[in-house]
Amino acid sequence: MRAVENALNITIPDNARIIRNIITAIQYVQDHVIHFYHLHALDWVDVVSALKADPRKTAQLAQSISDWHNSSTDYFKTVQAKLKAFVESGQIGPFTHGYWGHPAYKLPPEANLMAVAHYLEALDWQRDVIKIQALLGAKNPHAQTYLVGGMAVPVDPNSQNALNAGSIAFMQKLAKKALEFVQKVYIPDLLAVASFYKEWANYGAGVGNYLAYGVFEQDNISNTENLWLPRGIILNRDLSKVHPVDQAKITEYVTHSWYTYSDGDDKAKHPWQGETNYRYTGPKPPYKFLNTDGKYSWLKAPRYDDRPMEVGPLARMLVAYASGHKRVREVIDGVLKHLGVGPEALFSTLGRTAARGVETLVVAEMLPVWIGELAANMKKGDLQICNNEKWDPSTWPKEAQGYGWHEAPRGALGHWVRIRDGKIENYQIVVPSTWNGSPRDAKGQRGPYEAALVGTPVADPDRPIEVLRTVHSFDPCMACAVHVVDATGKKRAKIRIA
Amino acid sequence: MAKKIAIDPITRIEGHLRIEAQVDGGRVVDAWAASTMFRGIEIILKGRDPRDAWAFAQRI
Repeated sequence: MRAVENALNITIPDNARIIRNIITAIQYVQDHVIHFYHLHALDWVDVVSALKADPRKTAQLAQSISDWHNSSTDYFKTVQAKLKAFVESGQIGPFTHGYWGHPAYKLPPEANLMAVAHYLEALDWQRDVIKIQALLGAKNPHAQTYLVGGMAVPVDPNSQNALNAGSIAFMQKLAKKALEFVQKVYIPDLLAVASFYKEWANYGAGVGNYLAYGVFEQDNISNTENLWLPRGIILNRDLSKVHPVDQAKITEYVTHSWYTYSDGDDKAKHPWQGETNYRYTGPKPPYKFLNTDGKYSWLKAPRYDDRPMEVGPLARMLVAYASGHKRVREVIDGVLKHLGVGPEALFSTLGRTAARGVETLVVAEMLPVWIGELAANMKKGDLQICNNEKWDPSTWPKEAQGYGWHEAPRGALGHWVRIRDGKIENYQIVVPSTWNGSPRDAKGQRGPYEAALVGTPVADPDRPIEVLRTVHSFDPCMACAVHVVDATGKKRAKIRIA
Repeated sequence: MAKKIAIDPITRIEGHLRIEAQVDGGRVVDAWAASTMFRGIEIILKGRDPRDAWAFAQRI
């Protein structure tokens, strides 16, 4: 959408920009909390150990770190009983195939029980707060109200069929609920868990180069640099300098990917010239190992100025921190002080996980502000939601090209489009998990996951939970929307050992 | 003792990811990340109306 708006030189109205910002903000908050509790926490939290916890001591622990209301001995007794029944039933659903009892788990049983309780609470909470997106986008996750030129959701304080004062009040109530959970549950849990795993500030750094396109537009210029979270690049973990981002320096290799380029697989291509010629040359399943000297992944290898780059909350927070973003600096410095570590600790698996929490807090704090911005605009009578001047293809040039940048929750996302005679001639998407999950390039440089794993300790190669910690810290999204689940809906972890 | 391990699929993520890692002396000494699924949205979008692109390409 932004790529097309950029190609056709379309400026969107304020209301559209603000609504897009609000949708992005609630997606960040919901995605990050789900990631922490439901995708990542079980790498650090031993669910089965929670059965051994003393509910009274758990209540003391919970009350010592937060004034969240669900913290009584009775409450944790109830959660523990629920968990016990669940485990005894033998059908432990999302907790199946965990590495329970692994020596790499360091939390005392009480902290495990507290985290399991919040795992369950977060399930209910996320269902509620994402109603903000449902209201603005018609549904979640696939919002239906985007439109080239703006949004397709009317704004009118005097209409029952548009976003009105009632919608604003509804969103503000949910935004308050969102922020309260982040402040009183997520952040205290994150700090409590992190304090037991400080050694993970030494592992998982990876490539040490960070790219953020920046997000939360503060004006309507296409690809504006006026962003609440800034755009920039950090190289070689050097926080003293933030480099500008030049879209011309972004390219993709297919040297180790199951694609071919018409002029050879050793040269990188800029997305406007990008090609998607798929050619699987890997082994026929089932196989033991891939031939990693050759092509071995369906991901291309994006590079910036020929360097692999990490994207995501850590990249955004580092760029903001190094750019002097006031609130980000305050929160990061507070977290570092609490854990008794320096900024170098950010370049790690733990730093990646902490940065996601920092970002959730600062964005959740802004959510009421941006909802208020929309309300103020409506109040002053600005009801424009879309710029339709260039809706009709007869107003378009014969040929046009553009690019649009966004920061998805998982990181820098870029779309590049070339339009000819009113149709898409070429469209190339470079998504966050392609940056982070990239295979090697023509020079043999590792991608961010690959580089981050080197040096990770593995106590038991049969149960490599440490590998999961580092990989999960990136919040991989390999499919994003084009998801395939087998007929029974089951996914099973299989581990093969040579 | 050096050992090569493969984790496939990595669970608790979106989509399909395989990790192969060389483990030696209790540490990962080399690693390879492989996406085991093909996406192809770029091919689907060719020739379509640019005003529809967002509906195909959102959330990826």
